[in-house]
Amino acid sequence: MTARIVIAAALLAIAATLVLAARPHEATADERVDRITAELRCPVCQGLSVKDSPSETARQMRDLVAERVREGKTDAEIEAEFRTAYGDWVLLSPPIASWSGLVWLAPLAAVAAGVVLATGRVRGGAAVASAEPSAAERAALRERVAREEAAEG
Amino acid sequence: MSAGDLGAAALRAALFLALWGTGAAAYASWRRDARALASARIAAGVGFGLVVLAAVAMMFALATHDFRILYVAENNARETPLFYSIIGLWAALEGSILLWTAILAGATAYVAFRGTAAIPRLATTALVVMFAMLTFFLLLITTPAADPFVRLALAPDNGNGPNALLQNHPLMALHPPLLYLGYVLTSVPFAYAIASLIIGEGGDRWLIATRRFALVSWALLGVGIVAGAWWSYAVLGWGGYWAWDPVENAAIMPWLTATAYLHSVMVEEKRRLLRTWNLALVIATFSLTILGTFLTRSGVVNSVHSFTQSAIGPLLLGYLVTILVLSVGLLLWRSGRLRDAGAVGAPLSREAIFLFQNVIFMVAMLTVLLGTLYPLIAEAISGAQLSIGGPYFDRVEIPLGLALLFLMGVGPQLPWHGASRATLERQFTAPLACAAGGALVAVATGTTAIGAVLTYALAAFVAATVVQEFARGIRARGVLHAEGALTAFANLFRRSGRRYGGYVVHLGIVLVALAIATSQARTVDAERTLAPGETLVIAGYAVRLDALRAVHEPQRDSVVADLEITGNGASSQLHPALVQYPSSASAVGSPGIGAGVRDDLYTILAAYDQKALSWATIRMRVIPLVSWLWLGGAVVGIGAVIAALPAPRRRIARQVPLAEAPAPAK
Repeated sequence: MTARIVIAAALLAIAATLVLAARPHEATADERVDRITAELRCPVCQGLSVKDSPSETARQMRDLVAERVREGKTDAEIEAEFRTAYGDWVLLSPPIASWSGLVWLAPLAAVAAGVVLATGRVRGGAAVASAEPSAAERAALRERVAREEAAEG
Repeated sequence: MSAGDLGAAALRAALFLALWGTGAAAYASWRRDARALASARIAAGVGFGLVVLAAVAMMFALATHDFRILYVAENNARETPLFYSIIGLWAALEGSILLWTAILAGATAYVAFRGTAAIPRLATTALVVMFAMLTFFLLLITTPAADPFVRLALAPDNGNGPNALLQNHPLMALHPPLLYLGYVLTSVPFAYAIASLIIGEGGDRWLIATRRFALVSWALLGVGIVAGAWWSYAVLGWGGYWAWDPVENAAIMPWLTATAYLHSVMVEEKRRLLRTWNLALVIATFSLTILGTFLTRSGVVNSVHSFTQSAIGPLLLGYLVTILVLSVGLLLWRSGRLRDAGAVGAPLSREAIFLFQNVIFMVAMLTVLLGTLYPLIAEAISGAQLSIGGPYFDRVEIPLGLALLFLMGVGPQLPWHGASRATLERQFTAPLACAAGGALVAVATGTTAIGAVLTYALAAFVAATVVQEFARGIRARGVLHAEGALTAFANLFRRSGRRYGGYVVHLGIVLVALAIATSQARTVDAERTLAPGETLVIAGYAVRLDALRAVHEPQRDSVVADLEITGNGASSQLHPALVQYPSSASAVGSPGIGAGVRDDLYTILAAYDQKALSWATIRMRVIPLVSWLWLGGAVVGIGAVIAALPAPRRRIARQVPLAEAPAPAK
């Protein structure tokens, strides 16, 4: 009984911290610049974001984003400006809307297919009902212990 | 005779021996001919010696700056220090394939001598596969595709020197060889798996025989990847360790399938299930190592690691396609003999969790594969240019990683077949309480990202399950063998190294997860242009630019910023620099890093006054817990060593057939 209370309390506490972490908060200007520049590709680097890149070009792009944030532009407007200038290529995470949305769909579909396949192989029914093993199960268990001992030796 | 001539001759002789060995081993396997096997063994041993001789000859040529050899002229200079000259063996395409071939020749010799002594028929057939692969690589390095010993008609006075990034940090000595060892050693389980299919065994002898090889290659691959992350962190100068660069992706993919395999192997051993699946995983792992080699060396993808373009690309692609077609064909042909004995247990059984874990590892791998190749495919089909980078992979892989972390805590706590409610309560009460503690610690230390909070909770959960297992194991040994706690602890490793070494690996992964979550969620950075004497303040640290000075060395020129950092009870001097090598067009950043248990201080000299050295733009990142990543990698390696070490011999008494053993008195 105590075990169940502890488990319930623990799950509640975890849920509470997640809610606390997920609560919306107003991003500061710096946080917004970081968030936007992390999504933009540095045009002169090997796959680094504008946020991470130490290059001169990236620094100028960071300054430009900071300026747009100061001007009161929204994240979407700033992103759109860069997309117009550089094309979709500038986004490190391809937009969901276009046909490149396939790269988002594929992992989801793969998880779903995998879980269905795996579940199909798992024996139906819930957990083992009886904690007390039968004679046959006892024999099987003994054999398993022997095998594991042999394996781990 | 020069070192170059010697190396070239050795490789050609080794190629002849590999061809001979393939034939001799095939005949030995077909006719069970002991003399043919003996001949194949000699070919394997001598061939290995010859390839090593060639690799040493290349190192000698590099160390003595023998610019008559094209490879040396392109990747070495008179000013290159001895250390970087020698490791120039893996500084470019031809040399790295030579190193690869040397490791493969070593693995072939191992199978020829140790393997065939243990299980002759299976291992002799596996030896055919090893020799065939070795022949392919020897063909690559004895033909213009990747011949490292190509001569120049006229030797230049000086060479180009190694790529600037490759002579800037000693980790370069560690990261590529570890990765190559990991890559190449996956060929041994693959060869045995193929051999098992060829001779139609249907059993799992191949798997038992190569269990340790699979573990060791997995560990080397993992440690090699962490060493690469460390190198990237210490050299590339952007304050990160993983950029989802195509070549990083190529390395992580076989690691993902190999990790899945290490777990599903246990299901086959204990429950005689998943036979076809395990064969498929071994084939996938090996094929992915070849795919990675192809991607890196064909110039198909743009990457920090891209080697120069050469004829090797199509050859590697052909090799990969051949391997896939033959392996999958064999698998389909023999699928009738690969019947599983019984079914997977209840959803809450260990084998079911392994199954779900395998699904997630596969999706993780397929997502990396898709994300890496998609821009190529999209451009080929529609001409559309698009990028798939860090933000995409983070969004997909982090949830998968969290799911894996969760299953890593659950799986080992569940019995095979299924668990009762009482078992669940006994196993999970304390770990769940610890998980709550982990989540509270995350929030209390100011973490606001959900992913990071979940990581802390799951890390505490997994760590608690591991501690619980050790505590129970120690108590059980105390009761059964009257051992003290310390003796019992040591004996857990000695007697059940595979299991408890595995738990140590899990702890290492926990450290890695905490390092990634914290450094991703809580890194702060700031950038300012400073004149000497001025200070930049960030996250409680004050960075003062003391001086800016030019440094001349024979092989390079640098501008170094002397920084004095104080704050948070620490004080240190860091020296970020911009380094100019004669061989490279632009200067290479060399970050100044102050490593700490809590925070790493990462400083970059972004720009400076080139005329009078009167100002410098300094970028500083405070990266929390990143050093736990390297520590976690080391713990994973230690755990793998514990798991791979053979256990002491059992006492004879335990060998009594169990059907006749008395039932435990309980």
